[in-house]
Amino acid sequence: MATYDLEEQEQLAEIKAWWKQYGNLVTGIVIAASIGVLLWQGWSWYQSNQAAKASAVYAVLQRATLDRDTQKIKSAAGELVEKFGSAAYAPLGALTAAKALHESGDTKSAKAQLNWVADNGHDELRDIGRLRLAALLLDEKAYDEALKALSASHGSGFDARFSELKGDVYAAQGKKTEASAAYAAALAKLGDTSKEGKSTLQSQQANAPYREMIQQKLDSLGDAK
Amino acid sequence: MFDAVRNNKRIVQGFLFLIAISFTLFGVDSYVRGTGAGTDVATVGDGKITQQQFQQSLRGQMDRARQQMGPSFKQELFDTPEMRLAVVNSLVDQRLLLLEAYKGRLGASNDMLVDIISNMPSLKENGQFSQSRYEAAVRAQGMSTEPFEAQLRQALTMQQLVGAVADTGIVSATSTAMMLRIQSEERQVAEIRYAPEQFASEVKLADDAARRFYDENQKLFQTPELVRAEFVVLSLDNLLSQVAVSDSEVKQWYESHKDRYQQAEERRASHILITVNASAPDAEKAKAKAKAEEVLKEVQKTPAKFAELAKKHSQDPGSAVNGGDLGFFGRGMMVKPFEESVFSQKDGQISGLVQSDFGFHIIKLTGIKAAKLKPLEEVRAEIEGELKRQGAQRRYVEAAEAFTNMVYEQSESLNPVAEKFKLQLQQSKFLPKEIPAQALPSLGPLGNEKLLAALFSEDAIKNKRNTDAVEVVQNTLVAARVAEHKPAAIRAFDTVRADIETMLKSKEASALAKRRGDDRLAELKSGSDKLNWALVKNVSRLQGKQVVPEALRAIFRADIQKLPAYVGVELPSNGGYALYKIMAVKPLDKLDESKQRVLQNDYTAMAAQEDFAAYLAGLRQRYKVEINKAVVESKDR
Repeated sequence: MATYDLEEQEQLAEIKAWWKQYGNLVTGIVIAASIGVLLWQGWSWYQSNQAAKASAVYAVLQRATLDRDTQKIKSAAGELVEKFGSAAYAPLGALTAAKALHESGDTKSAKAQLNWVADNGHDELRDIGRLRLAALLLDEKAYDEALKALSASHGSGFDARFSELKGDVYAAQGKKTEASAAYAAALAKLGDTSKEGKSTLQSQQANAPYREMIQQKLDSLGDAK
Repeated sequence: MFDAVRNNKRIVQGFLFLIAISFTLFGVDSYVRGTGAGTDVATVGDGKITQQQFQQSLRGQMDRARQQMGPSFKQELFDTPEMRLAVVNSLVDQRLLLLEAYKGRLGASNDMLVDIISNMPSLKENGQFSQSRYEAAVRAQGMSTEPFEAQLRQALTMQQLVGAVADTGIVSATSTAMMLRIQSEERQVAEIRYAPEQFASEVKLADDAARRFYDENQKLFQTPELVRAEFVVLSLDNLLSQVAVSDSEVKQWYESHKDRYQQAEERRASHILITVNASAPDAEKAKAKAKAEEVLKEVQKTPAKFAELAKKHSQDPGSAVNGGDLGFFGRGMMVKPFEESVFSQKDGQISGLVQSDFGFHIIKLTGIKAAKLKPLEEVRAEIEGELKRQGAQRRYVEAAEAFTNMVYEQSESLNPVAEKFKLQLQQSKFLPKEIPAQALPSLGPLGNEKLLAALFSEDAIKNKRNTDAVEVVQNTLVAARVAEHKPAAIRAFDTVRADIETMLKSKEASALAKRRGDDRLAELKSGSDKLNWALVKNVSRLQGKQVVPEALRAIFRADIQKLPAYVGVELPSNGGYALYKIMAVKPLDKLDESKQRVLQNDYTAMAAQEDFAAYLAGLRQRYKVEINKAVVESKDR
């Protein structure tokens, strides 16, 4: 201690006093921050670990869809949803399984998968789930349920697709006026995409055949207004 | 203060530890990233798409287009703002998918990677994955395996998202059936056309109609500013004919470059091959060797029948039919043990068994072309050409500067340079001021934007000065001057009057046709049909070629609650008017299952594509995307 001059001793004393007053607080904050970081790390690790496991199940599911092995598709999709329901792979798996099951003629199971996506999925995938669920409901003549699924809120990018399918449901019910309005709304939305939030795939030329198809549906209703 | 730091090491170390921890936990790159200047092409979420990535992608696109289109590829047609925007958009889409995949912790496992790579057909050798082939293939792309695998992993990860959305489309069978009915429905229609020509005699144009149109649409009658140029071209080709090469120069070159004209030794051989794979088990090798020895004995017994024996025994299908003959070849063209044997044998000699990777060979040497020097006469033209090119290149370098200076200093005429460099003074046709980029190549040496801009500059037109010498392509300098200039003008009324009148008349006649048609349509709709309908046709959405698309749409848009129904259509480009009477509607009576399946597939693909586009649009809204429009539109980089 003897080596310090007066000024240094003063500073030392200041620091010591400061430490006495705030030491516990600083230690507390540091410890809390460390615990927070550790918890965050642990959570991240857990998530990654879950994702890796889900990825393996998803791979099994993909293989099963290629092999058209309905039993395996169901069990893998079930495992994804039950064990890894919060992982990003779950809705991807459900959409994949729904397609394969629908193609194999098992509409009931396909619907169950899409229902799960519509209820538990997020953002765009939830919208896609609702849209495809409504398509299957239409085939079962469950018009009201289909319209209910289509009336749920959805991202603006899906407006045209939702309106088009609504038009199909109304047309199947014989409600020409409502169908006309829905198709017209779908066409208007397709025109909209050139303004903002569009991707390369959504440029005017890219969806020309799709527009033409909706236009034909609209025209087929006659000038019923 | 620093002393305090030194003396309270523990506290300082604590801080250092905290800083270090933040680096290890959050990564150094988040500190480093984001330093780019304002020239980034786009920002997606927290990340950026840099100029470099953009340029690389653009170049890749162009290279692919160039390969597909061959010589018809034109860079200026491709490097447009729309194209650049499309490239940026696809980069943004990719980045969005990666971000979303990263957020969901999607990934491709090592097993997946191995599975994909080891099953690529082009990497297989005898049905087995070949590591060396894999490495060679990756190297051919200018990469090493590590970044290649990282890229592949990224692509596979993205594919998980893309596939789960774009390959899983579901379309209602009800919707498909509806569409099939719409497309197959037939309507029987009769037609009446009101052609504009029928009304031509009724058209009365006001005396001043043409004049008024001319006054109101002056822009249509503008002629562009025109320039006729004279120009001189200094190029290697021009200079080539001015270079003389003497005999002694040729000889000297020949003497000092003899190694170039050396022809290596070539030998001709026939062989009999008994194949056995180098990696085959020993027992198999021994068996092949025994067989080969048998054949060798036969050959040694009757060496003259080598060709026959080759035909009979050789397992090299390419040469066996030719009696084993392989033709002439030099060193380095055959496998090593084979080559060594051939180049040590005497002409006509037959070797013992020679083992190579292919199996066992019995080789007969059938000819030797000794190494020799090509005689001067054989290569004289080649050397002369080479020397001329060199001479012209030297002259060009010397002349270019003098040419450029002279054009500038004696700017009132191109004759001095033409004389000095023995160039021809050439004349162009009249050229308009605005020339679309794709027409430039047809202008020959003048087809250069910089040169044309100089030709239309005030200095060239008003002051009648030479343009600067412009290097239009490599080793070609062009200087031009204005020989004749026509300013932009408006064509005189008298020269265009007839055209205007014809156009106005046909427009008016078409309007009359429409009025007549509309009147008739109103009558028809009120219930009186006294018209002479003709041309009964059956049309459907799928087979609607007999009527124009506008008419087809109108026919199928009509309300058919009550038949006959009537529609009127104005035909495009002053084509008059057509009335259609829909007499019968024949709906599809039975859904054809195979047709429905085809349509369902098409419809599903289309719907899935729309779903995927909407998915990407959603990602764009969730992650902030900003595209730097200025960078996309500017052509300079």
